[in-house]
Amino acid sequence: MVGIVMFIAALALLAIGYPVAFTFGSVSIFFGVIAALVELLPDPSLGAVTDEFLQMFSMMPFRIYSIMNNTILMAVPLFIYMGIILQKSNLAERLLEAMGTLFGKIRGGVAVSTVLVGTLLAASTGVVGASVVAMGVISLPVMLKYGYSKRLATGTICAAGTLGQIIPPSIVLIILGDVFQQPVGDLFQAAVGPGLVLVVCYIVYILILALLDKNVAPAMPPQEGGKFVNIQKALMAIVPPLTLIVMVLGSIFAGIATPTESAAVGCVGAMVLAALYRRLSLQIVEEAALETVKISAMVFAILIGATAFSMVFVYSGADYIVEDALTNLPGQKWTFLALSMLAIMLLGFFIDFIEISYIVVPILLPIADIIGLNPLWFAILIAMNLQTSFLTPPFGFSLFYLKGVCPPEVSTIDIYRGVIPFIFIQVVVLLSIIVFPGLYGFE
Amino acid sequence: KVRWKLAMSWSSTLTPLAAAAPKLADMVSKMSGGNFEIRVEGAEKHKAALGILDMVKGGQYEMGHSASYYWKGKDISSVFFTTVPFGMTSNEQYAWFYYGDGQTLQDKAFEKFDVLSYPGGNTGVQMGGWFKKEIASVDDLKGLKMRIPGVAGEIFAKLGVAVTNIPPGELYTSLDRGTIDALEWVGPGMDIKMGFHKIAPYYYTGWHEPGAEMHYLINKKAFEQLSPEYQAILTTAIKAVTADQTAMNFDANARAWAQIKAEYPDIKIMSFPPAVLKEMKKANDEVMSDYAAKDPLFKEIWENQKAYMADVREWTRMSDYLYIKTVEALQE
Amino acid sequence: MLIRVERFYDRLSRWLGKGLSFVLLLMTLNVFYDVIMRYTFHNSSVGMQEMEWHLFSVVILFGMSVALIEEGHVRVDFLYDRYKPKNKAIINIIGTIFFLLPLALLIFFGSFDFVRDAWEIGEISEDPGGLRYRWIIKGMIPIAFGVLIFSAVGYTVKNINLYRFHKDGGSVPSTTDGGAQ
Ligand code: NA
Ligand code: NA
Repeated sequence: MVGIVMFIAALALLAIGYPVAFTFGSVSIFFGVIAALVELLPDPSLGAVTDEFLQMFSMMPFRIYSIMNNTILMAVPLFIYMGIILQKSNLAERLLEAMGTLFGKIRGGVAVSTVLVGTLLAASTGVVGASVVAMGVISLPVMLKYGYSKRLATGTICAAGTLGQIIPPSIVLIILGDVFQQPVGDLFQAAVGPGLVLVVCYIVYILILALLDKNVAPAMPPQEGGKFVNIQKALMAIVPPLTLIVMVLGSIFAGIATPTESAAVGCVGAMVLAALYRRLSLQIVEEAALETVKISAMVFAILIGATAFSMVFVYSGADYIVEDALTNLPGQKWTFLALSMLAIMLLGFFIDFIEISYIVVPILLPIADIIGLNPLWFAILIAMNLQTSFLTPPFGFSLFYLKGVCPPEVSTIDIYRGVIPFIFIQVVVLLSIIVFPGLYGFE
Repeated sequence: KVRWKLAMSWSSTLTPLAAAAPKLADMVSKMSGGNFEIRVEGAEKHKAALGILDMVKGGQYEMGHSASYYWKGKDISSVFFTTVPFGMTSNEQYAWFYYGDGQTLQDKAFEKFDVLSYPGGNTGVQMGGWFKKEIASVDDLKGLKMRIPGVAGEIFAKLGVAVTNIPPGELYTSLDRGTIDALEWVGPGMDIKMGFHKIAPYYYTGWHEPGAEMHYLINKKAFEQLSPEYQAILTTAIKAVTADQTAMNFDANARAWAQIKAEYPDIKIMSFPPAVLKEMKKANDEVMSDYAAKDPLFKEIWENQKAYMADVREWTRMSDYLYIKTVEALQE
Repeated sequence: MLIRVERFYDRLSRWLGKGLSFVLLLMTLNVFYDVIMRYTFHNSSVGMQEMEWHLFSVVILFGMSVALIEEGHVRVDFLYDRYKPKNKAIINIIGTIFFLLPLALLIFFGSFDFVRDAWEIGEISEDPGGLRYRWIIKGMIPIAFGVLIFSAVGYTVKNINLYRFHKDGGSVPSTTDGGAQ
């Protein structure tokens, strides 16, 4: 009960417009007091409640410290820094423009290119925030410059940036591997198909939308010179930054760097590349670093606020209520699947994917086992579902992260509306995995 | 009515390790007629796997289930209550804990943290790790990139290994791609879930963690507030669940290995050659002597363990070792 | 007077930002260096690897203050966008006092024991060759939240100024509307 009230309170307070990170924190403080009070019923003296409450919040330094020494999260500033260097040196813009030019008169080229670049980035990081922000920095200005609708542009970036969760490597899959007691490698392999299908569906959607409405995603303006010259020019612009991204990926595959470290390779690579194009200056390095500091701090402030939020959620016993509700799920395959997917999607509004993975999934597992569901298949369904939770308004983290790097004329509402079609696509692909597991290589 | 909370260093799904504390809670509840409840929380809830000692000390949790050598950075002597390279087997170590000076020394080491510490289940001999290439000589170790924490890592570093810290989530990819050449985890029961057997052909036997003991931590003040009956209930349940966990670990390892062997018959079980082990032993003695020179408590426990081991090893040899040897001779 | 205070905070934030940018660059080079050393020279230093997340922690912890003063924290703005500047200032003042400060104070005071434990016991890294003096990095938590509390005062002053000089409810430059750019 406290959990649901917490959710509604957070929603109302967020709407006021004070920074998200601290609003989360304040909601958790308020409900922390209530939880302490409830814990001490029937005789809650003021002193005892205060003690209980302070005891609860004395957990915060431990949680913050865990965030600090979680080296996988270093990917966030590193990726953002790479993205901003590429953007400030105009290399990203030229990459996307050139890719867009290759589409000729076909509309939607830059958005499709964004999805493709997002796919490549997704293959080199599994941290939410890292790729969303990098994509936001790289491609939002370009799409807005060429007259794309704000909704399509932001929706595309959120969706493409969140692909990192389903396309390996991915933190979601690593955690599910732990919960499902399945080797991470197997999960990674199983996720490739669904991830790519998602990419294709995004692209098809963008192309169809652009075909139907000529204002949402205009074609690149025609350039002088013959078609051949254009293609040559385009390739010239595409190759270097693309090489960089491939280098980042390559450093993982060749065993040079771990996925997190590969982002640092990318940063140095981006600087070298910018220098080669004579676009690197001390000023760019400095400005990019400062922006990275601010954006990373924005991302981590949200994580710290959210960790206070989930701490109180767990402390108030809300997780046990969820457990009780789920333990009684029915044993027929389709009802079970429908209800469990729905439950996870709903919980995605409240709590982060780590909590869902560890609190909810273990309850579902024994039932899934009895029904005889293929664990890999079930894990991928959950992963897709959790990935969607990063996109769902109002609390989807991707939305906040993108908002944090948007120019002021793009509002939260634009982003909320922009992702809705992509959420539909996610749901459709999810359903297709449920109905046609064979297509994705599941038994 | 008493309500306590217990924090585990691992997530609630990490069996067999995580299965013990809930059993403990259940026993305590039943023995106290439901009046002594312990709520067990895994790392997914408190999110501070390596903060257990601090949290039990600070009173955020009354109890913890963890491994003593995680506190090596706080007190180097804590390694002895888990396991040390070339040290005792789990049988020997339990005898030391309960009938030698083990528990007394453990109390002495943990006194400054205001917590009580008790043995909490043994993993048995841990495996030496998964290797992508064979280690035939000391030279093969030079420049080898390996993930291995703790004292064993120190020893390997002395032998020229590039000891690398990689978070668990990135280990599989790193070993697969050759970012590292080898890694040490636990034993088949836990390793099987990480899937290393699919990508590394050599599984080396152990030398560095011959009997890793987990431990239960109790906030001293909270314990002293319990009635003598509840104190007895708790300590008895801890001892029971400790034995249970050791058996559970043994079972999990044996079964997991049978499964790995059936699915991947080509995996080679290897032992480090004597020449390599000799260097390891030498490095180990150096590392341990260094610590002993700086820390009197370390020295005291080390000498106590060595003396005890010298007393009991002969019996281990005569009993378990020669029994297996005798029976194996039958098969020839 | 209040304007002078605001300027002081702006300067402070600029310097802090510069310092943190430098730390970020160090972190990037640190990670890159570790990759090269391991891959090319088969040489790893656990201390250097730990230095990575030490630098990372400094960036994210102290960056919160820079982001606050320079409006880098993200908001849900569908209502906020429509407020008059005066009302925005009020929201920010009230929000800082009732949302930000309680959390920051709780973490600030709540982390003393956490740091003291590490200091008293002389905690060091649990890995061979790791960094010593764990209390330093743990101490960054109260220090960073102390700086955040201090910055919150400046942010409040800034919004008081905003309130005072926008009595007519005119439009405010869009750069103060949020967004990190
Ligand atoms: Na990914
Ligand atoms: Na081990």
